[in-house]
Amino acid sequence: MKYKAEVNKIIPFSNVDGPGNRLAIFFQGCNINCSYCHNPETINCCSHCGTCVSLCPTKAIKMVDGKVIYEEALCIGCDQCIRTCGFNASPKTREYTVDQLYEVIEGYAPFIRGVTVSGGEPTQQAAFITELFKRVKGLGLSCFVDTNGFFNKEDMIELIQVTDQFMIDIKGINTLETLCGKRSKQHLENLQYLLSIQKTYEVRTVVALEMVDIKETLTSVASLLKNHPSVTYRLISLHLTGLIPFQKENLKDKVPSKAYMEELKAYVTALGVKKVEIQSN
Amino acid sequence: MKSKATDILDIATSKSLTYQQKLFNLANTAERLLDPREVLDYDEIEMMYIEKEMICDLNEGYVPYRPRYIVPDYSVLLSKGCDFLDLKPPTDLDELLDHLLILYRHIPSITSFPVFIGDLDRLIDPFVTHEEKDYKKIKRFLNHVDKSIPDSFCHANIGPERTKAGDLILKAVIELENPTPNMTIRYDKDKTPKNFALKAVEACLKVSKPSFSNDAKYCRDMGEHRIVSCYNALPHGGGAYTLPRLRLGTIAKGVQSLEELLKDRLPKVTKAMATMMDKRIKFLVEESNFFQTSFLVREGYIQRENFSAMFGIVGLADAVNQLLKLEGRQERFGTSKRGDEIGHSILKRIQEVANNHEAPYCERTNNRYLLHAQVGANLSEEDTCNTPAHRVTVGDEPILPLHIKQAIPFHEYFISGTGDLFAFDETYLDKPEAVLDIIEGAFSLGGRYITTYLHNTDLIRVTGYLVKKSEVKKAAAGEAVLRDTDILGYGTNSIAHVFERRLRKDEI
Repeated sequence: MKYKAEVNKIIPFSNVDGPGNRLAIFFQGCNINCSYCHNPETINCCSHCGTCVSLCPTKAIKMVDGKVIYEEALCIGCDQCIRTCGFNASPKTREYTVDQLYEVIEGYAPFIRGVTVSGGEPTQQAAFITELFKRVKGLGLSCFVDTNGFFNKEDMIELIQVTDQFMIDIKGINTLETLCGKRSKQHLENLQYLLSIQKTYEVRTVVALEMVDIKETLTSVASLLKNHPSVTYRLISLHLTGLIPFQKENLKDKVPSKAYMEELKAYVTALGVKKVEIQSN
Repeated sequence: MKSKATDILDIATSKSLTYQQKLFNLANTAERLLDPREVLDYDEIEMMYIEKEMICDLNEGYVPYRPRYIVPDYSVLLSKGCDFLDLKPPTDLDELLDHLLILYRHIPSITSFPVFIGDLDRLIDPFVTHEEKDYKKIKRFLNHVDKSIPDSFCHANIGPERTKAGDLILKAVIELENPTPNMTIRYDKDKTPKNFALKAVEACLKVSKPSFSNDAKYCRDMGEHRIVSCYNALPHGGGAYTLPRLRLGTIAKGVQSLEELLKDRLPKVTKAMATMMDKRIKFLVEESNFFQTSFLVREGYIQRENFSAMFGIVGLADAVNQLLKLEGRQERFGTSKRGDEIGHSILKRIQEVANNHEAPYCERTNNRYLLHAQVGANLSEEDTCNTPAHRVTVGDEPILPLHIKQAIPFHEYFISGTGDLFAFDETYLDKPEAVLDIIEGAFSLGGRYITTYLHNTDLIRVTGYLVKKSEVKKAAAGEAVLRDTDILGYGTNSIAHVFERRLRKDEI
């Protein structure tokens, strides 16, 4: 079977997606919708409605045979298409086969330590990524998955096998439904499982005041991490840069202070987490 | 270029030169007053290429009385001291640092300042006894070098092994934020411990030094060598007699096709530069009496047999861009596959002509001149259309990953040195490992030399040397500034816009 997947973006050199210099692949499609999402255009795949076509100032987007076609060379990156899409999608994605993506990775292999798949939610493409990782291993590169934690592990046993490490979000416990439209403890169960097989590189929580049950979330994560001293707990301060005006308006008073972030760091450290980092950009 | 008698008055009355700079400029003017046809026997063809500015002799002058670059073996100071200067071998750190500062005053070069001041970590390490006290001395010594050798071509080496002294030196250069000395870590992933390399990356991001040289590769190509001046790899205990350069951007002007350039004009100019170099070297070795009279030779700091000469090029990008235009392509060097092909064909041709030339007094390098990717200078109008070395013109650079892949294959030709510069954004400061991954990747593909720096530092790389942006702004306003390289930096920035070099963010 020839696997294909929709890719939103490839960042050949990234220093923020795991250890060292890494190539990061952002897959299109997500199974949740968080109100503070910085990349809502990665949530759905393009429905080819054509709304964005007429608004593109450089005609980089065209409608051909009922399909939206994107010509990268003409794009000036104004993101008008993304702003006007009412569907949380983007016309600027590209479909890749495993071979095509492998070729891109191979070209950068000498300069990177590994590959990190993100999204969207990459576990939605488990079969594709499994095949990709199997090949990437041959280049001597490490394979990381950056996930929101909502996946059925029974459906991706092989992906878990070929993945070196996971970076997993714990976005909240009791506030998930309003925050992400999800009501589940699956993320915590998955974290527990990944910890038990030594495949967790990092756990992240975005700190957004009132929207996240912060103390409860941190306490739950800390109780799991205290026995895993090598795993980093990254506390990410909500930030507004890059958000659309509507989101900015809703979120502007949800940004935590620096002092509060430090307080939270001290809190989880006291609960026994060894590596805690604050990210505030 | 020849000078004019009127240059003397201009220099003597200048408002923007210090006393010392006037003195050196006057001496250089005198060297260029004589006619090279009479003193060096330059022929009409060689003169024509100089006058058309296709060959640039970097104002080396027409009575070469000292090698351009001298790379002393300072270990002689430790074992024997120096008779000429009446210095006994040093017995403690104070004596060592004092002796070195004395010796530096007596190392000639094209600028009259030493271009190599030693393997500082190896020299200092045996004398480190008390970390805190010795740190102060090392820091004071480095600051002394910055203020008394006001020339950023002055270069120190550290590595490849880690030493206590190496750690202290890195700590001091970060605290000092001085342009001088320029510094290189000779990096070898099999010899340089990771934590030392990461400290060097941190220093490089913060204060733009040390740069990283691919030590294993240079050792293979050159044997015992050191990195001096900008990033020149030269034999240890010797150096380079001379360095003229081909202005490829100028040479390519007016040709009708790539074929004409490769088959006719380029080999002719290249050959003329080689014969010109022969004449300079013969004068220096046979007539100037340098090697007969220098205490450095007599006492074993250098040997004539360890000298070679450098065959420089600039303006590859500009030559390629002209040819792309001739071929009717809307492409620019840096992002054009065809452009890279043309670039390689030009360098291969130069390499071929240079390698077929029998170089006098160059037994250390198999009687061959060594190709060098010269970093540029601002000596003439022609320099505005000759981008440094084989670099991509500022503004035409692709994103970092593509830029590195484009640049590294060009390093292969330049045995006596080349280097690429990449400015990173601040997020890399917390991730030195990511930068080291990139450097190691470049070296695994045959890259020779990499410099990185943060985009917003005051201390910045111009082409191969360091300047403070603030000092360059003063020079631009016509004020006298301490370093000759600050003045060069002004010239280079005003023509090449290096301060606007592409910032590396990891976006595509």
